[in-house]
Amino acid sequence: MVALDQPALNPFWFHECVILTMPTGRTAVNLKEMLQTIGEVDTAVLSYHLWQSRMAIAHPEVEYPNDFAVWAANSLQDSRLAEKLSVIDPFNYEDMEQIREALSEVIEDYMWNLPSVPWARPGFEFHFCEASTVVLARPRIVAGTFSEFRRGVAEVGIDSIYYHFVDARWRLRKLKTDDFSIWLQDSYGVPELVGALQGIDLWFFTLEEIRKALLKLIDQYIEKPYDDTVGSS
Amino acid sequence: MTTRLEALDPIAGSGAVDQLRRMADRLRPTRLVHVNSTRIGGGVAELLTGIIPLWNELGIETRWEVIEGDQAFFEVTKAMHNALQGFKTNIGKPLLDHYIEINRRNAEKLDFEADYAVINDPQPAYLIEFMRERAQKWIWRCHIDASRPDRNVWRFLWEAVRKYDASIFSMPGFARNLPHPQYLLYPSIDPLSDKNRELSPEEVSGVMDRLEIERDKPIILQVSRFDSFKDPLGVIQAFEMVHAHTPCRLVLAGGEATDDPEGPRIFAEVQEAARGIADITLLLLHPESHYEVNALQRAADIIVQKSVREGFGLTVTEAMWKGKPVIGGAAGGIVMQVQNFRTGFLVNSPEGCALRIRYLLRHPEVGKRMGKFAKEFVRNYFLVTRNLRDYLSLMLLFRGPDGSRRGRPGRLVVL
Repeated sequence: MVALDQPALNPFWFHECVILTMPTGRTAVNLKEMLQTIGEVDTAVLSYHLWQSRMAIAHPEVEYPNDFAVWAANSLQDSRLAEKLSVIDPFNYEDMEQIREALSEVIEDYMWNLPSVPWARPGFEFHFCEASTVVLARPRIVAGTFSEFRRGVAEVGIDSIYYHFVDARWRLRKLKTDDFSIWLQDSYGVPELVGALQGIDLWFFTLEEIRKALLKLIDQYIEKPYDDTVGSS
Repeated sequence: MTTRLEALDPIAGSGAVDQLRRMADRLRPTRLVHVNSTRIGGGVAELLTGIIPLWNELGIETRWEVIEGDQAFFEVTKAMHNALQGFKTNIGKPLLDHYIEINRRNAEKLDFEADYAVINDPQPAYLIEFMRERAQKWIWRCHIDASRPDRNVWRFLWEAVRKYDASIFSMPGFARNLPHPQYLLYPSIDPLSDKNRELSPEEVSGVMDRLEIERDKPIILQVSRFDSFKDPLGVIQAFEMVHAHTPCRLVLAGGEATDDPEGPRIFAEVQEAARGIADITLLLLHPESHYEVNALQRAADIIVQKSVREGFGLTVTEAMWKGKPVIGGAAGGIVMQVQNFRTGFLVNSPEGCALRIRYLLRHPEVGKRMGKFAKEFVRNYFLVTRNLRDYLSLMLLFRGPDGSRRGRPGRLVVL
């Protein structure tokens, strides 16, 4: 348990982050082209479609966790392939080349037994994109205590949740952690809370749902019930 | 007095306006100019009307310039517009020369000096040939679904567009093979404008009374220019199929833009198609009837945008902002705007449109739920604050860490 007003060793700076989508002009109209292009594009393209695109735009409900799976389901009308592509968790890999290999392997294996190459409906081609990123490191919100951190998580934009909790999983993949967990552990020594944060399944929550899940877990570690209902509804 | 930015703050939420101010702080002093071909009518003019004052409130010195042209010029640019949307066309060399000449004459008249010039759509695209030195960075903003352009017209435009420093498209599929970075920016709506602000029930009723539209039956509405790509005839076909089963009304409302010479012809075709069908109202609205469109959208039960080609359907976003389910043609940006079965339905034919209208008429509670999701989706991604943020980001990417301007934009900036 952590007291609300317990000061941290160092303040937490909630960075903000803007992702601008950059279409590459490359397109896949069928699964064979998808496989070939995945093998050729810059790895930045794969990062974009595996997790960055959820910052660019994300619909109110998550059906499949990455753009490749969504395309398989909606454009190829192949939910079986979508399910297989959904299983790939990029944050479990050490580098992007391994992820490229894993994606290619799933598609190649799937195509092996198909009698013909599945095509996308006209207008539903896959358009490969990458991202440009602007990080605002001089933030609107800085937390010096546990309660300020809790309030920060409730009030920051979802871009901040993305940057510190989703994108951080890739930046800190070797440590298997994220910015929030590192700060909480360093400041308050709360391994159980950190373990619980790690248990949040990023892939089937929207960023707003992730925020709610974070707040719920944080509230369980506050010494007395937190009476501010901001963001916890 | 509350400024527009202050008024947007509670609507956009999550400190979005504060973030814009901090981003703009990093860019000042910056001079920006937007150029297009009409001040009234059409989505681009509306976007600019909303965004220009906000730029200036943010301290980014911004001007809006409109090029002038004659009838022949707008005939050519309309043909170019259609050609970019895939319509086969043959624009002869004399007309293309005339188009270039009008751009040259406008370049002589325009007197801006800017850090960034944003040139909207094909009409002013050739200005860069005659006034390159008058802006440091040239950005071509294409609002059109250019996913399958006519080859000859695209080659002609490419000669000018390739000289820009960046281009912006509304959907990934619209991006072209260009020698500079391309970005995706979603067009936005201004929630404070007459078109989108909250209206009281009395205001809505007042407009419906004035337009003589009875509210005794559910209202199905399509708001768009009378343009063949918006498929108003397909909407009438769909309505006939629904009307045979279920009492309802159809309202087709559109205005004419000053740069669209095709409008009157298409409107006449629509009038002909609607003749003799009960419960159809056709409204030819003044291009600035934003308040009326707002009321119509709020009074409607289901909003349709059955386009067969669409850059990005602003009317779709407007309808979603009013918490309405949208039945959209599975074309262009609508595919991304409408999440099928969650915020509305995507359809591919008049029959499909009729099917979904019937479903929503029978299940109004589903329509309400979809509308609720739709409104939050717009709040997160399609408000003018998002558009400003993306433009500011692009400008920041053009600056080096020391604030100097780069030849090409960076891929990561930490400020």
